Formats: sequence, structure tokens, C-alpha cells
Amino acid sequence: MFSITTILYLTASLFCIGIYGVLARRNIIVVLMSLELMLNAVNLALVAFGRVHGTASFAGEHSGQIFTLMVLAVAAAEAAIGLSLLLVIWRRWHSIDVRKLSRMSG
Amino acid sequence: MSPWLQNTIFGVLALLAVVSSLLVVTRKNPIYSALFLIVMFSTISGIFLLLDASFLGFMQLLVYAGAIMVLYIFVIMLINPREGDLPPEGGFTDKGVAAGIALIVFSLLAFAIGKSEVLAQLASSGPFPARPLPSPTHGEIAAFGLELFQRHLLVFELASILILVGIVGAVHLTLRRKAGAALPESSEDAPDDAGETRGRELIDV
Repeated sequence: MFSITTILYLTASLFCIGIYGVLARRNIIVVLMSLELMLNAVNLALVAFGRVHGTASFAGEHSGQIFTLMVLAVAAAEAAIGLSLLLVIWRRWHSIDVRKLSRMSG
Repeated sequence: MSPWLQNTIFGVLALLAVVSSLLVVTRKNPIYSALFLIVMFSTISGIFLLLDASFLGFMQLLVYAGAIMVLYIFVIMLINPREGDLPPEGGFTDKGVAAGIALIVFSLLAFAIGKSEVLAQLASSGPFPARPLPSPTHGEIAAFGLELFQRHLLVFELASILILVGIVGAVHLTLRRKAGAALPESSEDAPDDAGETRGRELIDV
């Protein structure tokens, strides 16, 4: 049960739940959270592959985990920028509805 | 750890991860979504620990469930959306289209995983949890740090630049300035109407 295949099915389902959240929700906060969900699913796949291929990899046994650490840094930066954009949008339009942002006009 | 115990823990964590992430994308109130997202991050951290990535498991708890979620909850409390501010969610067609796209992507991924010969080889070469560790110190902070600062030093420095840019960008975006004034004004209230002129005066410098 605890195998690389099961973990990959788990990551695929988490990633697709994230896709559903990004596409279906209209609340910007929840859309950002769904993005974090998708990033986490990818992290899990990277760590699982790193555990399996650790010895075979020429880049070092921890390269999968280091890749995940970099994704973590990107996610932190993305959360900071995304939430500050959210604050600016809230101040300007008093709304967190993504449909109101789809017009692309000031 | 016995394989049975490992399987059971993984099963519980995986089930919890899927259920809590489903709850994240379906709750109407964003604060509930945030709390379920914390549960989901914690389960992923547990799976990292099962995969012998101990340092990364604790990093996951610290950075995701700690720092990033505090940021989210802080922003939710800052803008404090009332019931009427929450956008109306899409109807049955919108959700159906989104679920259809997600299901198509999932079936493609599952098909690829099921057909993969590399994965079949890996699965046939021995039980996964009992696979020997690449080194006795695999995933511990000392070995991890040595590899990070020796082989992957450039990537590490680039990540620090990225985070610096993120900090500067976040500060620049949220700084409120009136035309001509250098200091940010007090930021206790959001504008209570969607007036375009007031918004423009707040944003443009």
C-alpha cells in the first residue's frame, strides 16, 4: 500500500483537487490556497522520487529534497506577493471576486 | 517500524490529506479553508517523515503550516470579509466544467502512472518502505545541509535573492502613500465603497 505508485496517485488527486479549486472558486483567497495545494502535491512527488532514486542520481542523494526546499521558497515568495496583491485589490475595489478582475481595465 | 504500521499510518494520512483538501476547496468561508489547509499541510509533513525526509518534514510544518498559513489567516482577518463580501460561487455548470477538467487531468495522470514501466520496475524491485537508505544519515539536517551548501550553493543563493525580491515587492505593493507624502498613512480602515476615484487616489502615487 505504501509504495511509490500509491504516493503518485495521492499527489495526482491532490493536484487535481487544486485544479478544481482554482477553476471553480471565485474567492481569490481560496484560489491562492488551491495554488498552495498544487505546489504541495508536487513537493510530495519530488520527495518520493528522491527517496527512490537517491543512489542512482548523479546530483546527490538529497537532490529531490533540495528541489522541494526551493519549491518551498518559491511558495513563500508567491504567498507574500499574492496576498499583497489581494490587499491592493481589496482596497481598490472592495471585492475578492475574481470575476471583477477579468476585465483587465482600471 | 513494521511495514504494517507504516502502511496504516500512510493510509490514514493520505485519506486525511484528500478529505481535508476537498474541504479546503468547498468551504464557503475562507477561514475554514485556511484551517483545513493547515490539516492538509500537517499530513503531508507526516508523509515526508515516513519517506525519511525528516528535515524537510519539519520545514514543511514550520514554513507552510506555520509561516505561510499565519500570513493567510492574518490577511483574512485584516480584510475581514463579511457575509455579503464573499463572492457568489458559480452555479452547477461552472462547478461541473471545473470538475470535468480536473477529472480529465486526473485520468490522464492516473493512466500515465498505471502504464509507466519505470514505476512497475521500481515496484517489482522490492517493497518500498524496506528499500535501503542511500546513506545512514539520509534526510538528516547535517547531510542535507552539506549537500545544499556544496553542490547546490548557487541555487540556494538564487532562492535568497528570490525571497528578497518577494519581500521588497510585497512592501512596495501594500505601502499606502498619498500623492507627495513619503510616509504611509494609518491603515486602519478599508474604503467602504467601491468608488473608483478613492481607490485610484489610494493606489497611485
